[in-house]
Amino acid sequence: MDQHITDIKDPDIDYGSEPENIPLHQRPSISIRAKIAISFSLFFILSFTVTVWSYWILTKLEHKIEFLEIADNYMVEIQQARRFEKNYLLYRTDLDDALGHLKTADKILKNNSEKIEKILGPNHFNTMVSYMSKYHDQLILLGAAENDAAKEAIVPSLRQFGSQMVSFATEFVEKERISVTRMFLLAKRVPLYFMSAIFVLMVFVLVFLTRQLLLTLNRFMEYTKRIGEGDFSPITPARKYRDEFTKLAEAFNHMIKELDHKHNVLLESHKLRAIGTLVAGVAHELNNPLNNTLLTASMLTEDYEALSDEEKREMIDDVINETERAQRVVKNLLDFAREGETEMALLKIDKIVEDSTRLVVNQVRFAKVDLTLDCEPNLPLIAGDEQKLKQVFVNLILNAVDVLPPRGKIRINVKKDKVPGYVLITVEDNGPGIDEHIQGRIFEPFFTTKRRAKGTGLGLSVSRGIIKKLGGYIKLKSVPGKGTVFIVSLPATDSPSEIMSK
Amino acid sequence: MQKTLEVLLLDDEPIVGRRLKPALDKIGCHVEVFENPKQAVARINEKEFDIVVTDIRMEEMNGIQVLEHVQAKWPRTRVILITGYAKMDLAREAMGKGVFDFIAKPFRPDDLRQIILNAAESLGISVDKPSGITEPVEP
Repeated sequence: MDQHITDIKDPDIDYGSEPENIPLHQRPSISIRAKIAISFSLFFILSFTVTVWSYWILTKLEHKIEFLEIADNYMVEIQQARRFEKNYLLYRTDLDDALGHLKTADKILKNNSEKIEKILGPNHFNTMVSYMSKYHDQLILLGAAENDAAKEAIVPSLRQFGSQMVSFATEFVEKERISVTRMFLLAKRVPLYFMSAIFVLMVFVLVFLTRQLLLTLNRFMEYTKRIGEGDFSPITPARKYRDEFTKLAEAFNHMIKELDHKHNVLLESHKLRAIGTLVAGVAHELNNPLNNTLLTASMLTEDYEALSDEEKREMIDDVINETERAQRVVKNLLDFAREGETEMALLKIDKIVEDSTRLVVNQVRFAKVDLTLDCEPNLPLIAGDEQKLKQVFVNLILNAVDVLPPRGKIRINVKKDKVPGYVLITVEDNGPGIDEHIQGRIFEPFFTTKRRAKGTGLGLSVSRGIIKKLGGYIKLKSVPGKGTVFIVSLPATDSPSEIMSK
Repeated sequence: MQKTLEVLLLDDEPIVGRRLKPALDKIGCHVEVFENPKQAVARINEKEFDIVVTDIRMEEMNGIQVLEHVQAKWPRTRVILITGYAKMDLAREAMGKGVFDFIAKPFRPDDLRQIILNAAESLGISVDKPSGITEPVEP
């Protein structure tokens, strides 16, 4: 079998230049299942992360907003305390108002110490408490001072602690406010980012599915078509990684190998069947010269004394001629049945076709079919295997004989093709023809219209294989009810005739 | 009753007639040889033969058809068929049609002579030299 590799590739896809050269089993292994699993995991992890993050950030925001509320209340209280402190210094109003507000502020801090501590951290909370208690101490001192001079002496430290207390609180509240704004923004944007990521992932999965799955499936469909047509060369899918399709390709190649093997076995059995058909004819063809020889030799012995020298010579010549006739019959059959490799030789196509008609002469005669052969003179030589070509023509003629009624006609024509450099052989019959819907399948292996026992369905597929290998083609034209013509075109060769083997 | 056996021999192989004619002459047959079935049938229409020996496979007309023709025209005539390739279905068909005997190629002249003697006997004709078939005979 010829092993020409015809990998079918989609021209629109860039497969990369390397993958085809790497044997299937050496490619890195990433299964399609793994790819799909990875895609889904990614999707899940992304969704999970975003959900957890959203929950976390919203909880945090809740805390911060709570904190801001507390901080606002606290700020109001300490600012009030400071206002009353100023009033006291200016107008000597009651200092208890300031102390009251400070006490409320302190209560706010103490009541919410946990929450505040959570946001500020224990250090800052303690600092805040200490500033407040220092300011509180100064206020008490101020209230206790006996004269104005003593009060004036306390004022600077009082003011210092007061402003420290306020600015520290303000700073933190401001910081938290900014942080809350930022978190809101994030909470607003992250779902958008997430959506974009999902979109990209979806697009990727879509592209992956169409490109890798559908196109590969299409390619495998092409492969099955090719195998169906009897091309048993192994397939090499252009894929970078080992995946289910690589395994499928390996399974395909295994199947192809088995098919090829079985096909070869069947080819042999097909040939045997053809030989069987020929043998039936040959037996008759052989018995005639044998009978002539036996009768002649018997009479020669019987009448030896009585026969003239001339008569004896004539009878001996008959024996020789009839023996040679038998030899030719046997040789023809043996030539056809010969096994072995393709033997290319330069051949006279008209002789090949003529020999083929001689091989089937008995089948043709038994079927009472009329066979005519017309060969154009001066045909160019062709390069080919004599036996295989005879097999093709014998097969075509026997097919015609099978469908023809008595007095049917087979016309064989050998001539130069209209296409220069080609020889055209047509085998035409006026039989029932081939239905249009099966004309396309007629060259498929195992396709047969004959009864189960009669045909293997391989004849035409084998014939096509033989003709294709020689660079020619075989096709048919058929009109149901009118007949069928098989057209074989073979390339002529320019090589000198000296290298002809025969 | 003693008379010459009238035999018609039909085979499209010329050598068959050339060799069998002298072989059958020796047992007291008068043999007319034909290679063409049409001509043979024409002759059968003219004359009643005792025995017709015909090949089965021939162009134009086969031995069975010749047999049918003879049966229709001369029911008494014994027909012997020569087959090149023994096929049961043909034999069965011929038996049904009243063939006297078969002989398969290749055969010796004696084989046919024996069948012809049997046929003559069935016709009630005694032949010249019934025992001489194996002895060399002077022309």
